[in-house]
Amino acid sequence: MAFSVNISIEAPIENQIQEITYDGQEIYQNPLSMSESLAKLAQKIDFSKATVEDIKKENGEQPEKGEEDPLLKDPVNYQSSLWPWDTVRNKLRSALTEVCVLADVLSIAKEKRFMVLDPVQQEPVETKPIVQVYARKKALFGAASVLLNGAERLRNTQNEMTRNRSTPDFHIELLRLRQNWRLKKVSNSIIGDLSYRTAGSKYAQTGMFEVTKAEDEPPSSGSPPPSPGAGASAKPSSALRVTVPSELQGVGYIEVLCQKDQEDLCSATINTLGPSPTTANPDVHWQQKLEAAQNVLFCKELFNQLAKEAVQLQAPIPHMVVGNQILATFLPGIQLIIGLCHSAVSDKKPVAAPPQKSEHDHVLEHSLHQLLREVHHKNTHHPFPHPSSGPIGPSKRRCLAGPMAADRYELLEMTKSQTLLEQIIQQAQHFFMRRRTEYVLDTMAKEVKDPLIVSHWNALNSPMQSCVKINIMTHGYDAILRTSLVVQVGEKSLKCVCRDGRVMHMSYEPQELRDLIFCQIYQHQINAVHCLAKCMGWQFLSNSSHLGLGAVEPLGNASSCIFASPIGDRILCWAAAYMCWPELVLQEADATAPRAVPRCLMLSHAAKADSTPGQLRGRPAKSKLAEHHQRQFWYIRLDVMERKNIMNSVCLLMSYLTCGSVLS
Amino acid sequence: MRLHKKSTAMDSLTSAIKSNIIPNQEYLLQGSVFDSAVEVLLHRLRGLCDNVDSGPETFHDHEMCFSMRSSVQPMLLRVRRALDYQEMPWQLRYIGQNELGDKSRPTIVRNSIDIGTSSTIVEFLTELGCRMDFEYIVRGYMFRKGRMKITVSKIFKMGQGKPLESVEPMSQSYLVELSVLAPSGQDAIAEDMRSFAEQLRPLVQLEKLDYKRLQHVA
Repeated sequence: MAFSVNISIEAPIENQIQEITYDGQEIYQNPLSMSESLAKLAQKIDFSKATVEDIKKENGEQPEKGEEDPLLKDPVNYQSSLWPWDTVRNKLRSALTEVCVLADVLSIAKEKRFMVLDPVQQEPVETKPIVQVYARKKALFGAASVLLNGAERLRNTQNEMTRNRSTPDFHIELLRLRQNWRLKKVSNSIIGDLSYRTAGSKYAQTGMFEVTKAEDEPPSSGSPPPSPGAGASAKPSSALRVTVPSELQGVGYIEVLCQKDQEDLCSATINTLGPSPTTANPDVHWQQKLEAAQNVLFCKELFNQLAKEAVQLQAPIPHMVVGNQILATFLPGIQLIIGLCHSAVSDKKPVAAPPQKSEHDHVLEHSLHQLLREVHHKNTHHPFPHPSSGPIGPSKRRCLAGPMAADRYELLEMTKSQTLLEQIIQQAQHFFMRRRTEYVLDTMAKEVKDPLIVSHWNALNSPMQSCVKINIMTHGYDAILRTSLVVQVGEKSLKCVCRDGRVMHMSYEPQELRDLIFCQIYQHQINAVHCLAKCMGWQFLSNSSHLGLGAVEPLGNASSCIFASPIGDRILCWAAAYMCWPELVLQEADATAPRAVPRCLMLSHAAKADSTPGQLRGRPAKSKLAEHHQRQFWYIRLDVMERKNIMNSVCLLMSYLTCGSVLS
Repeated sequence: MRLHKKSTAMDSLTSAIKSNIIPNQEYLLQGSVFDSAVEVLLHRLRGLCDNVDSGPETFHDHEMCFSMRSSVQPMLLRVRRALDYQEMPWQLRYIGQNELGDKSRPTIVRNSIDIGTSSTIVEFLTELGCRMDFEYIVRGYMFRKGRMKITVSKIFKMGQGKPLESVEPMSQSYLVELSVLAPSGQDAIAEDMRSFAEQLRPLVQLEKLDYKRLQHVA
């Protein structure tokens, strides 16, 4: 229940007590009336005082006096109560007197007859400069000491902070983390996302990690600390800790191998966790941890995609997916092995390095990464519609398909695209073809010394095509003739373009390339002899590219050409076949003339028939002709001649024969 | 054999229509900003939308509006071509009336059919009996976020003479449109549009306009 209380407010008693009677009654002094209070105030004005400070000083003194004044003056006032303004009038009068005096003085001074006003030299204020300097110095010292104190204090606090702060501040670390990774706050915890979702990935596995404050915990009871004090005083290297999902911990990578068929297909050693470069270190910085986890997620997505495709694709030899490996056979006998290597932190036992039969191909691994990134890119970067009112999504070809009346076949073709696995298999095929071609050319260059085989590979090439230019030349005679051809290495085939415009397509078998090069060599020899003969002045009589005489050649056909010496007394016949020594046959017009060529080099037809039946190229028709014409022909033993190469020997021979005829 | 093929084509078309995969609805929100404020808006859109690495896509289009006044309700058709990409097909567009749904719908929903055509469409429409009501040039920037398309564009009046030369802007402002083309029935996208419009709120107010009121004003 609320009662209303009356509150009365009274002012305290202001009036002075004049007298207290014996019976306790107080007689109050009557308050001053308006005129009386005005008179009291007017008395206080002293017209002789000019400045306010004086008045204030006076006022400061006056209140004490003012207390007594009215009391003192009260009897006076009471006596002369008829004129309370008397003091005021007196003061005014004295003021007036003073002002009159001043006016008189000024008028007299103005007349300049009796009084002159002259300025008085003021004494200069004697200030010793040294005193000033001292004063300033003291003042500056004071200011400097204040500033120095402040700076000292700041420096001390800073040093203390950096010393005590071996772990940086949690919030600064969080800021750095936020600059690199996407974070968001969910109720009480901070969750981050390290997946490639925003970059266009459609992989289902989430890459969420949690960020917590790192506390100075005592070491867990797993392993005893090395020294009793070390564990307790170990501070974490950063103020925050990131918790990565267990399936993404550790380091992972995709291993790509190209190798020949192994007897044991379950080469499980490759399947094991490969040696990880960074061991399981719980103190690893959060940036590295997150990057490694992101990489593991990327590799998992890549492998998942490849495995799906391997199962769906229908290849002539089906692909196999075994555990963490995909086995794809792209050439007979050659396999592409793609494996996912993931070393988790929890793996305690030491991992032995698997015996690598062929080394992991970093280029193909990089290509795989690039291919998946390209898929991501296509997922996000859809082409914009032009004009802008069109729908987002269809490519330019699709947009044009309507107005340009594309048929069903074209539309279906537009929808087809190559899968990752197909693309990487193509790249691996090309890589293998290139290596094989290199091998073939290198071994041939080592084997065949007589015409030199020089190969130049193009520095720029694509993942699906490379180019090599092969020059076949004879040492010392490269100005006379150089046979060149270009071999374009594709994915499963080779294409050879010769100088004369012939184009030959070869398959992946290395023997075909060998055969081709050998054919080119043998043709080079014939053409070189031809050019050499021209240089030496010998007359070219005839040639035959495909001799139908003699035994059947294993490859190609034998060919020959015939030259006559400048004066026509000797005839030289060159006959060559694939992979055989060329044969030189010399016919002399005059059997009795001294031979220019030493006897040891010459072999008569009959002798040759006895000695080397295998290499005999029987030319019965020619020998019959020879018999008829009384001409002798001789085989030249090129193998016995000392020379650099066959061209050299032919050149020497021709020069002998020419000189010989000249001399004789 | 040929008959068999024809029926399968018709079958696939009818099944496509029935299964509701043809995007024939447009969800739209519109707003405008002054020229002085457009830079800030572009900056913000660049940050919010997809593909920050590639800059905003520009477009320069020429639009003509045809109407066929055969029945009581004239049918409006719009023909649009890209002046900066001459090889792309022209677009013929039919936009229907706004769907009179409940007022709580966050966006305008209207029927919209886009067809790619060759440049002979103008002649074709003229032969059909359509007359060109007006034409204008639009120039601006395009952004994309998921399925949503955001355009910030300026409309230019076409001057007399050559269409590309003498163009003057119609107003000192840019038109901002947020639109999605979707099959009918996917109303959830309207909510996404509204929340995206909220993110642009202090810079530009994207809302659904009542065209009937605009007509009265005009």
